[in-house]
Amino acid sequence: MNIARKRQMRNVGILTLLLVLIAPLIPYAISAVSGSSVQGNEYQTQVKHPGGDLWREVRQRDTDVIGRTQVKGVDTGILINKSGEDWRQYRMEMLAPYGAYLMGAILGLIVLFYLVRGTLRIPGGFSGKKILRFTLNERMVHWFTVVIFWLLGVTGLILLYGRMVLIPLLGLEGFSITASASKEVHNLIGPLFLVAMLALIITFIKDNFYASGDLKWLFKAGGMLGGHVSAGRFNAGEKVWYWLASFLGLALCVTGLILDFAILGQSREIMALSHVIHTIAAIVMIAVSFGHIYLGTAGMEGSLSSMSTGYVDENWAKAHHDRWYEEMQATTTKDSKQEAVAGGVAATGKASPISDN
Amino acid sequence: MASMKFYCDAERCIECNGCVTACKNENEVPWGVNRRRVVTIKDGEPGERSLSVACMHCSDAPCAAVCPVDCFYITDDGVVLHDKDICIGCGYCFYACPFGAPQFPSSAAFGSRGKMDKCTFCAGGPEENFSSEEKLKYGSNRLAEGKLPLCAEMCATKALLAGDADIVSDIYRKRIINRGASVMNWGVAYENAGLRVSQGKAGKASSTD
Repeated sequence: MNIARKRQMRNVGILTLLLVLIAPLIPYAISAVSGSSVQGNEYQTQVKHPGGDLWREVRQRDTDVIGRTQVKGVDTGILINKSGEDWRQYRMEMLAPYGAYLMGAILGLIVLFYLVRGTLRIPGGFSGKKILRFTLNERMVHWFTVVIFWLLGVTGLILLYGRMVLIPLLGLEGFSITASASKEVHNLIGPLFLVAMLALIITFIKDNFYASGDLKWLFKAGGMLGGHVSAGRFNAGEKVWYWLASFLGLALCVTGLILDFAILGQSREIMALSHVIHTIAAIVMIAVSFGHIYLGTAGMEGSLSSMSTGYVDENWAKAHHDRWYEEMQATTTKDSKQEAVAGGVAATGKASPISDN
Repeated sequence: MASMKFYCDAERCIECNGCVTACKNENEVPWGVNRRRVVTIKDGEPGERSLSVACMHCSDAPCAAVCPVDCFYITDDGVVLHDKDICIGCGYCFYACPFGAPQFPSSAAFGSRGKMDKCTFCAGGPEENFSSEEKLKYGSNRLAEGKLPLCAEMCATKALLAGDADIVSDIYRKRIINRGASVMNWGVAYENAGLRVSQGKAGKASSTD
C-alpha cells in the first residue's frame, strides 16, 4: 500500500515537472495552430512579390498568355515559348541517340541473321521457268518511291547526325554546303513523296488485305523458325510492311508539308510537334526498310528479279508464295488462251505471265 | 570576362517601340525581320505591362544546342552570335528559342527560310570588325566601339538595360529597393504592395540610376 502510494506520488511529480517545462512553449503552439504570425513588426509583413503575376504570365506557367505587339509575324505575341525546351530535349536526348540505337540494332540483327542463316536458297534451285510477279507499272511505282524515299532519308539523316559525324570529316564550311544541299533537296523533293506514297498505296492495296493464314504465317515468323508456311501473293510480313509504310508514309507527308511550307502561319508548337512525329515515323520506316531491302537482295535468292525484270522463278514462287503460284497457274491457262486469240504479248506492259527467258 | 545581358524593367517600359526602331535603323535589318519587339500583356486591362524582348544571349543557348551545322558561337563577352556563311536556314533555332529571337527572311522557293538573323547585342559577327561584310550581314558592331546596344541606349525611360550582368542586376536591385520605399507611402505602383517602410525617399519613384 505504502509502496504503491509512493510510486503514485513520484508519477505526479514527474508529470508536474513536464508541464512546467512545456509551459513556455504554449504561446508558440497557439500561434502555429491559428496560423497568424507575430504582429506589430512592419519589417516582417507578408508581401506578394509585385512582379509575381506578371512573370507567371510571361513564363506561361498556368495558361497560354498571348500579348499584343506591333511586330507582325508568327507567335510574336508570345514572350516565352514553353515548348522550345521540350523540343530541344526530345531532339538532342531522345531522337538522336535512340534513333541511332534502333537503326543500329536492326542492322546488327540483319548481319547476325545473315551470318547464321546465310542467303536463303530456293528449295530445288532455279527451275528456269519464270512467272511475272510485278508488272511494269508496279515496278515503276516501287522504284519511284525508292528513289524519293532514299533521297529524303539520306538528306534527313545528314541533317540529324551530320554535326556529330560529318563536321569532324568535312569541317564546318564543307558540312555547311552538304547540309544546305540536303535541306534544299529534302524540302524540294519532299512534296513528291506524297505522290509516290499515294501511287504506292493504290497500286499494291488489292493484295494487301488480311487473308486467312496470315496470322499463322506471323506466328511461325514466316518459316524463319523452320517448317513451311503457305502464303498468297503477299505474305503477312509483306502486308505488315505495306500497312506500316502506308501509315508512316502518310504521317511523314502530312507533317512534312507542315514543316516545309513555313509561310502558312503555323505556330512553333505545331511545327515542333510535327517534327517529333516526322522524325519518329522516318526513323522507324528507315529501320524497317533495312529488313525489306535485305530480304529483297542478299537475304533471299531469287527475290530481287521480281522488282528488276518483274519475273521470279517458278520454284521461288512455289516455296514462298504457294497459294499465289497456284492462282497464277489457274489464270495463266485462261490468259494464254486469250493471248493466242489476241496474237501474242500485249503492248500495255501486261506481259504474258509465263515466259521462258 | 564580362557576361552581357539585357534586362527589361516592366515597371518602366511604356511600349514606345523606340528600341525596335533604333535596332532596325542601326543594324539595317532585312525587310520583314525584327530583331527586337515589344509585347504588351493585358493590353488595356488593369495590370498592363510591356516588355521589350530580343535574343537574351543565354549562357546555355538552346539555339546553339540544336543547330545542325553548329553555326553558333559565344564571344568572350558572353554574346551569342552565329555565322551566316554556315547557317542553312533550317529553322531549328526558332523552334528551340524561348524568346522567338531567330528571324528568317523568306527568300527561297515555297517561301522557305533564308539565313537566320537575330540580335547580335550590337556586336557584329565573325567577319572582321567594322568591315563592310560585317555591316551588311550582321549590322553594326557597337560593342567593338566601346558602346552598348543602341536599343538600350535609346530607351527613353531606361526600361531596357543592357550591359554586364553584374551591373545590370545592381541597377535593377537599387530600383526595387527604392520602389519599395515609395509605394508604402503612395501605393501607386503595386497592388497590395508594401515591402518596407520609407527611408526618407517618400514620393521618389526611383533612384537616379
